[in-house]
Amino acid sequence: MADDSGVLEAFLTLSATLTGYSRFRLLGTGQAEPYLATTLDAVGDDALGELLSASTAVHDEAAGDERALDQGLRARILSDDKLGPVARNVIKMWFVGTWYQLPQEWRDAHASRQPDSTHVVSPASYTEGLLWPTIGANPPGAKGQGYGTWSSPPTLDLP
Amino acid sequence: MPAQIDHAAAASIDYDVLVVGSGVSGAIVARSLAEKGLRVLVVEAGPGDELSVADYESYLTRFYGAAAKDNNAAYEVNPNAPMPRSPDVRRLQPGHPDSTGYLIQNGPYEMDSTYTRVLGGTTMHWEGKALRMLPEDFEMRSRFGQGRDWPIGYDDLEPYYRQAEFELGVSADVADQAFYGITFPPGYEFPMHGLPKSYLDQIIARDLDGTEIQLHDTTCTLSVRPTAQARNGVPNAAYDDGLGFIPVGAVSTHQVDEGGRCQGNINCVPLCPVQAKYNARKTLAASLDTGRVDILTQTIASQVHVGADGLVSHIDYQSYGSTTSPEHVTGSLRARRYVLAANPVENARLLLASGLPGSNGLVGRNLMDHAYLLTWALLPEIAGTMRGSQCTSGIEDLRAGGFRERHAAMRVSIHNDGWAWPTGSPYTDLVELVDDANVYGAALRRGVVDRISRQLMLSFMVELMPETSNRITVDSRYIDAMGNLRPVLSYSLPEYTMDGVAASRRISRRIFQRLGAEDKTHYDPLDPGYVAYQGEGFVVRGGNHWAGTHMMGETSHDSVVDVNQRSWDHQNLYLVGPGSMPSIGTSNTTLTLAALSFKTAEHIAAELTTRPSVTIGG
Repeated sequence: MADDSGVLEAFLTLSATLTGYSRFRLLGTGQAEPYLATTLDAVGDDALGELLSASTAVHDEAAGDERALDQGLRARILSDDKLGPVARNVIKMWFVGTWYQLPQEWRDAHASRQPDSTHVVSPASYTEGLLWPTIGANPPGAKGQGYGTWSSPPTLDLP
Repeated sequence: MPAQIDHAAAASIDYDVLVVGSGVSGAIVARSLAEKGLRVLVVEAGPGDELSVADYESYLTRFYGAAAKDNNAAYEVNPNAPMPRSPDVRRLQPGHPDSTGYLIQNGPYEMDSTYTRVLGGTTMHWEGKALRMLPEDFEMRSRFGQGRDWPIGYDDLEPYYRQAEFELGVSADVADQAFYGITFPPGYEFPMHGLPKSYLDQIIARDLDGTEIQLHDTTCTLSVRPTAQARNGVPNAAYDDGLGFIPVGAVSTHQVDEGGRCQGNINCVPLCPVQAKYNARKTLAASLDTGRVDILTQTIASQVHVGADGLVSHIDYQSYGSTTSPEHVTGSLRARRYVLAANPVENARLLLASGLPGSNGLVGRNLMDHAYLLTWALLPEIAGTMRGSQCTSGIEDLRAGGFRERHAAMRVSIHNDGWAWPTGSPYTDLVELVDDANVYGAALRRGVVDRISRQLMLSFMVELMPETSNRITVDSRYIDAMGNLRPVLSYSLPEYTMDGVAASRRISRRIFQRLGAEDKTHYDPLDPGYVAYQGEGFVVRGGNHWAGTHMMGETSHDSVVDVNQRSWDHQNLYLVGPGSMPSIGTSNTTLTLAALSFKTAEHIAAELTTRPSVTIGG
């Protein structure tokens, strides 16, 4: 794999496309590095390297064309037996801070690893989940919006 | 830090009253007696190092990091004083008790209700609804020919309800809460104004108010009403004849800037992050200020001993140093009066484990809870679900009327937290969108809003009458890490309740039709709580509203305690809490059991302070 900062950049580029949130917004959660580390721990160098290389290639080849990017992602990552489940796990991790155990099929084919069990990455990753701001809410038990805010319509920022 | 003394010191003090359990009942009894000059020792089986914000925050961090966020997720697994946990509940096979969890499920129906064994008891995870019972709920036998009458009525309990509303810090407006016979004295105000209705509530009210539902001879006209809640809101300046009310903030013996108004953290269960919601630690902290209350945590009452005179002579305890080791020391505690306030399951368990089933064999019997039926749908518009406290409004109009001769009454809560309870939303929605719907990026963001922000969940809380066969027992085959007998639950749902469950499902369909909401309710036959009834299947869940194992009554023949929650058999023993309630109607039990605790404290204080032979203060 490339040097550390290159890996993080590639991970952020892929994450931004998969989540629909900007690189800037993702960095603001403070979770990019822990999520990269969690993915690496769970799937290993080889699978992560393949995922990021495929993502970089798809992004480069699309060169800003959204339709090409979408087709490339589906063809080379999301429908790939090895890379698809990992990419979907990265999405879920960004949205709720939880790493979900990979499907048994994947574990059989690519050797299961210890940290692959379903777990919350850290207490902070829970409160930084992107799902909550997406629905105009706060993560239950944190970042309360203030007395009475619930009586108004939610503030949504839909793409 | 005055919360703790050691056991040797406690053994040397002449306490007036020993209270077993530090939940809301025990805390109120302790505080009330101490304020009247009596010396009180409280023992709590679970941990709770100190009454501090740091201790509370450690629960919050554990909750954030827990993959399964069930209602006891904030509390560590403690084999020394275990507690039931809903994920432990399995679908039962007939004739095979399940001992997976602390509570042995003997069947025929499995029940997923829990309680919490930590300092502050189950108020550490309760939701905070603070409902009075209806006057007719106290007269179920004479009015409807069902269940049992209480030996006291609404009017007897009303002054204690007011005390409870003060202690718990209830936010509500009298105009919203005076329904179906509930009355307040002229000029009464709740301590704080009611919490505003959620946007979701307003959408429902707009389309639902005025809908008529026919239940046998009773016509019920539905309206969405704000729910009385024990969480901090805006103080009512008119409270207490204009003296006002000062809300109780975060519990700490040090000054701390927390515990203000509800912020809408949508996490009342299991833990309010800012302590806007009442928990019994607030009452315990106030009791410590009297200087006459001592608290021993990690101290399990293991055996109640009764002398030849029928009076309790002492209570044995086990004290453990660490939740990770069963190592412990034992000893005995004595006082002039004994109060078991450990919740209906643990009160009964302790008495039965002590060989005290009662002269009429009723200890542990007549166990009640609310049967919950959850129904859910997608609204045709964005409702902003997942904001507010968990419930800000409900429907009270199915709780009262002549139909109660035929089937159970029900109360409906509108859940601001959407389908979280029945389906595990929003996690399950996210997983389906990503893994099955194959969306990502902008489409995923839109999908998440479409699936979650339109969610409506109505919980129907259905009443259950006392049945002697619904009970807690003990069995020497089942013991915990400390060698104490574990509770064994036998539980079934009578037709009276199941007819109410079936009616609830019909009513939910009517409501969803009226709202134009897409009914997404489904009940999986493999789920715990699945019941087939009259050709239809339901998943009936527990309400965590344990009651009735030491029911009060007029005579010693058919009840365990009297109107003051005093044991008929052992005159210096009080069994306090919802276990004393002969019926629970369609009210969450906490406000009523808090009112009863004030009544009992008043009685004990009168007993101990008016007899000429007694010296006050030890």
